[in-house]
Amino acid sequence: MGAGPSPLEPWLLRLRDALALVCPILTMAPGEKIKAKIKKNLPVTGPQAPNIKELMQWYCLNTNTHGCRRIVVSRGRLRRLLWILFTLTAVALIFWQCALLISSFYTVSVSIKVHFQKLDFPAVTICNINPYKYSAVRHLLADLEQETRAALKTLYGFSEITSRKRREAQSWSSVRKGTDPKFLNLAPLMAFEKGDTGKARDFFTGRKRKVNARIIHKASDVMHIHNSKEVVGFQLCSNDTSDCAVYTFSSGVNAIQEWYKLHYMNIMAQVSQEKKINMSYSADELLVTCFFDGVSCDARNFTLFHHPMYGNCYTFNNRQNETILSTSMGGSEFGLQVILYINEEEYNPFLVSSTGAKVIIHRQDEYPFVEDVGTEIETAMATSIGMHLTESFKLSDPYSQCTEDWSDVQITNIYNATYSLQICLHSCFQAKMVENCGCAQYSQPLPRGADYCNYQQHPNWMYCYYQLHQAFVREELGCQSVCKEACSFKEWTLTTSLAQWPSEVSEKWLLSILTWDQSQQIKKKLNKTDLAKLLIFYKDLNQRSIMENPANSIEQLLSNIGGQLGLWMSCSVVCVIEIIEVFFIDSLSIIARHQWHKAKGWWARRRAPACPEAPRAPQGRDNPSLDIDDDLPTFTSALSLPPAPGSQVPGTPPPRYNTLRLERAFSSQLTDTQVPAES
Amino acid sequence: MHVKKYLLKGLHRLQKGPGYTYKELLVWYCDNTNTHGPKRIICEGPKKKAMWFVLTLLFTSLVCWQWGLFIKTYLNWEVSVSLSIGFKTMDFPAVTICNASPFQYSKVQHLLKDLDELMEAVLGRILGPELSQVNDTRALNLSIWHHTPLVFINEQNPHHPVVLDLFEDNFNGSASNSPAPGRPCSAHRCKVAMRLCSHNGTTCTFRNFSSATQAVTEWYTLQATNIFAQVPNQELVAMGYPAERLILACLFGAEPCNYRNFTPIFHPDYGNCYIFNWGMTEKALPSANPGTEFGLKLILDMGQEDYVPFLTSTAGARLMLHEQRSYPFIKEEGIYAMAGMETSIGVLVDKLQRKGEPYSQCTKNGSDVPIQNLYSNYNTTYSIQACIRSCFQEHMIRECGCGHYLYPLPHKRKYCNNQEFPDWAHCYSALRISLAQRETCIYACKESCNDTQYKMTISMAVWPSEASEDWIFHVLSQERDQSSNITLSRKGIVKLNIYFQEFNYRTIEESAANNIVWLLSNLGGQFGFWMGGSVLCLIEFGEIIIDFVWITIIKLVALAKSVRQKQAQARYEGPPPTVAELVEAHTNFGFQPDLATPGPDVGAYPHEQNPPIPGTPPPNYDSLRLQPLDVIESDSEGDAI
Repeated sequence: MGAGPSPLEPWLLRLRDALALVCPILTMAPGEKIKAKIKKNLPVTGPQAPNIKELMQWYCLNTNTHGCRRIVVSRGRLRRLLWILFTLTAVALIFWQCALLISSFYTVSVSIKVHFQKLDFPAVTICNINPYKYSAVRHLLADLEQETRAALKTLYGFSEITSRKRREAQSWSSVRKGTDPKFLNLAPLMAFEKGDTGKARDFFTGRKRKVNARIIHKASDVMHIHNSKEVVGFQLCSNDTSDCAVYTFSSGVNAIQEWYKLHYMNIMAQVSQEKKINMSYSADELLVTCFFDGVSCDARNFTLFHHPMYGNCYTFNNRQNETILSTSMGGSEFGLQVILYINEEEYNPFLVSSTGAKVIIHRQDEYPFVEDVGTEIETAMATSIGMHLTESFKLSDPYSQCTEDWSDVQITNIYNATYSLQICLHSCFQAKMVENCGCAQYSQPLPRGADYCNYQQHPNWMYCYYQLHQAFVREELGCQSVCKEACSFKEWTLTTSLAQWPSEVSEKWLLSILTWDQSQQIKKKLNKTDLAKLLIFYKDLNQRSIMENPANSIEQLLSNIGGQLGLWMSCSVVCVIEIIEVFFIDSLSIIARHQWHKAKGWWARRRAPACPEAPRAPQGRDNPSLDIDDDLPTFTSALSLPPAPGSQVPGTPPPRYNTLRLERAFSSQLTDTQVPAES
Repeated sequence: MHVKKYLLKGLHRLQKGPGYTYKELLVWYCDNTNTHGPKRIICEGPKKKAMWFVLTLLFTSLVCWQWGLFIKTYLNWEVSVSLSIGFKTMDFPAVTICNASPFQYSKVQHLLKDLDELMEAVLGRILGPELSQVNDTRALNLSIWHHTPLVFINEQNPHHPVVLDLFEDNFNGSASNSPAPGRPCSAHRCKVAMRLCSHNGTTCTFRNFSSATQAVTEWYTLQATNIFAQVPNQELVAMGYPAERLILACLFGAEPCNYRNFTPIFHPDYGNCYIFNWGMTEKALPSANPGTEFGLKLILDMGQEDYVPFLTSTAGARLMLHEQRSYPFIKEEGIYAMAGMETSIGVLVDKLQRKGEPYSQCTKNGSDVPIQNLYSNYNTTYSIQACIRSCFQEHMIRECGCGHYLYPLPHKRKYCNNQEFPDWAHCYSALRISLAQRETCIYACKESCNDTQYKMTISMAVWPSEASEDWIFHVLSQERDQSSNITLSRKGIVKLNIYFQEFNYRTIEESAANNIVWLLSNLGGQFGFWMGGSVLCLIEFGEIIIDFVWITIIKLVALAKSVRQKQAQARYEGPPPTVAELVEAHTNFGFQPDLATPGPDVGAYPHEQNPPIPGTPPPNYDSLRLQPLDVIESDSEGDAI
């Protein structure tokens, strides 16, 4: 029903517009002129168009985007098609480019800055490589030492440690010959003939025995050893000795050291912390002299940090409730200078095979991983370590998978330190260890409510530990995926160089006065191989900061999208709103109106089929916007014209075209006459 | 009248269209502007009109806000960095080589004789008779001693520390329980301190040391500084290690070089230093290949036997890589190379190029730094190290009246020594630990815009090997000393290989993160995004603003005129204006062709214009037309409001 008059109206309007343009305005009466103007200025065929096609046409003609208008005004089918194609391509391009822009929103740009400023001196942790004085710890390790010697003798024919400094220790070797070897029973050391891994020679008894266990070659995944005749290893069994694994090494040195370390950890796990601290070196003993930034310092400036594998370590510049020392001049004389006393006579021959100290430079709130990182320094040498500070900051979620603290990692922190990836991995491993083996590994701190592993309580922990460790290395425990990297870290790039110290000519006086300095702790004359000099300083005070910044901000994204919209179609948010308005609100309202009329018409026909005049009245108001007279006051009010007294005088009111038109809408002949009149 | 005419004429010329009232102007603007919002305001129904009005306002404010953000970002002068890594032919770094000992002891012994004897005696006193091998019978030159003596401080009673001069057995503090005179104190009871006095010994401070080693070393260094400060520079150079003694062999790439290719420079801490490839007089040598074969190979002899025993306890060569034409701050940035070892150093040039003001705080050549660069005497480029040291020396001269021996002297100043400046040690010691001084210097000095660091990968091996030791020493001894005896030993010989790594440069270059193009495209993007506008739209807007101003001016003139007219013609009542006139007043004249102006209108106006004087010739049409407009306009405006 509503479709009847629709094709007619726009033609009429357009005709009227064309007339208004063509006709010289001056020929019109003043009132007419105004009206023509109004009509021109206010196109009343708005979104109130009677059907979808009209609406689209109106939209295309009046929209601010550039392609649509061309579709409508183009003549010829090909041209129109081409323009449709272009417009659609432009729309597609916009969508594609905007999708790219949005998907690359969370990217970072990196900036590197250099500041010359006063720098905080890092915490410096110094450890002796040997954890405990051998004389103090020996009574605990006597059995183990004896068995190690025995194993060495059995396989390699090595009988005496002929160290020049260990004369007094030799009396021990033949003491407990007849006792039962408990360590070798627990984890027998064995040698295997190459190619015959089923048979093994026991280190202790010397006789061959059958081994039916899985052979696990240490590091066999990484490299293949072809030419070794014999491999050495030790056997670890779980509780009932049915499930065994043999760990083999290409060299007896590695095998014996690993084996020794395993038992050593067992023994030390049963010793209390205070006792261990007492067995290790005191700060006064380790540090002979200390000098920082031109000022003397001493053992009080160091804090004790007990590491299970390195004994007493001392951290400089890490004191609680004290300000962090800082450096305001570069160069060795403004850094930390210490002379360390390394007593090689007290070294454990099987646990450590090198001499010196280990230095770790770290942040104050960071845990020093003595085993994993650090610089080793030599005796009778001056080791000078020049530092450069680099600070890095990463952006956390959603830019990258890093974390600021423990809040978003499901691992309990067993260290008393801030988050780092290494702490997380170690904590994770320790947690798994407690979960699977029932006890904690010795070289890491204790989680709450757990004990260190030892033979007495956990007889098969070693097998469990080795299994777990293998799984950890192969990333089967899931620790690597749970732990995230830290978002910010400080890194000190070190330049290490060595020089001879003390020099030939200064050796004599220097050693004697150092001996006087240490006379309280050490009751012997110092040798130059007992001492090591360490210099740690900032080379210069340039601090590099590598910072990640968001590459995009919201406003930049918007302006990029705006640029794209403008480039392809000269579109803006206004256009988008137009589209929403036209395509959703108006279209829907047209459809709804259409349906409503249909329903109404159907209802009317059903109720009163004999009365065709009934629906006419509402249809007359069908398109109110077409009512020009209704619109005129809008304009008047818009301009706030004075209610001129003479405004009604000239001319009669214009005929009500709409009624005319509506009348015509139902007569097909008039439509026919109107269309050719326009064209 | 004249002014108004001009104004009207000007307005006419300026605007052919927008209209003569605010509203016309506004409607015209909204209808014809290229920005997307305003057009909708006027061509929609009343409800949508309101909505579009609000939307347009909202978008306008959004655009303004975002523009503000962008301009703020732009004015932050942020930089972005680009990193490039690779290998290219580069100038080989300048290599500075020094001996750890500044002087040959054999040549400097006569100067240090008194001091050394005193030092031996001090050691003897500290260690006690059973540890020292020195007999105290020798006559000592105690004039040096009395200036800055070392003392024992017995702090067993923390409230009454006992101060005891090393050479005097009487006590300065409370003296009741004196230890035995033979061995004054032991290490765990006493600390050794240095007494620094000023004002002729009236104000004294004790500089404490936790160990006697440090105390004697510092004391000796201070005294030696005092002695060397009085020696002219040429003599000091002569006492140091000469180049031909130090540098035994040199090979750069395939080209042989010798000690003559090294530029000597005197360093107060390390004596004679020699710089290879400094680029001061000739062009810097490039290196086009990575690897040891194409680098610098040096064999040096440190001559450890001839070290000054108390001055340096570390033996080895000191070396540093730095940029051409820059001063080597070898004490801060140098590394050691050990005797009897071959030290291989792989070099990576780490360069940072900064953009300068206003992007980053740095200086191109140091000319805008308020501190006089004392190192410019060496004809070297600016560096922050040089600035900080110059700053320290400046402070030193201001506070103590003399310059420190370690740093260059400004014009007409002297180095500190005990004779002329007896208080200097006290003053220097206070200045050295003063944090305020250092912070002032750090604040005053600016970084240089180009920062080059040489990242070194250091590795060491024993050299010469046992097997080759004999012939190598023999050949080198023969070459240097023309003697068949071996004059070299493992304790003095140093081999150095310095070469470029496979990737020899890493350049970080700053560029402006937000340039003007960025700013414009973002501004355009925002404007386009919200309103579809461009610069032309802004110009349109500006035009409308000008029109507004014009209209306001005309209105004001008209208002003034109408007031005057009302006063003048209070009694006159003209015929009421016709509708046509009223409407005409509001139409947009600019849209009408000019030929529309004459004709019937002319007849309508003369009555109103000048009713009392009939028969005058028709006046100028322009003024005619505008005359009634103003009168009516002022009225209609009142209605509108």
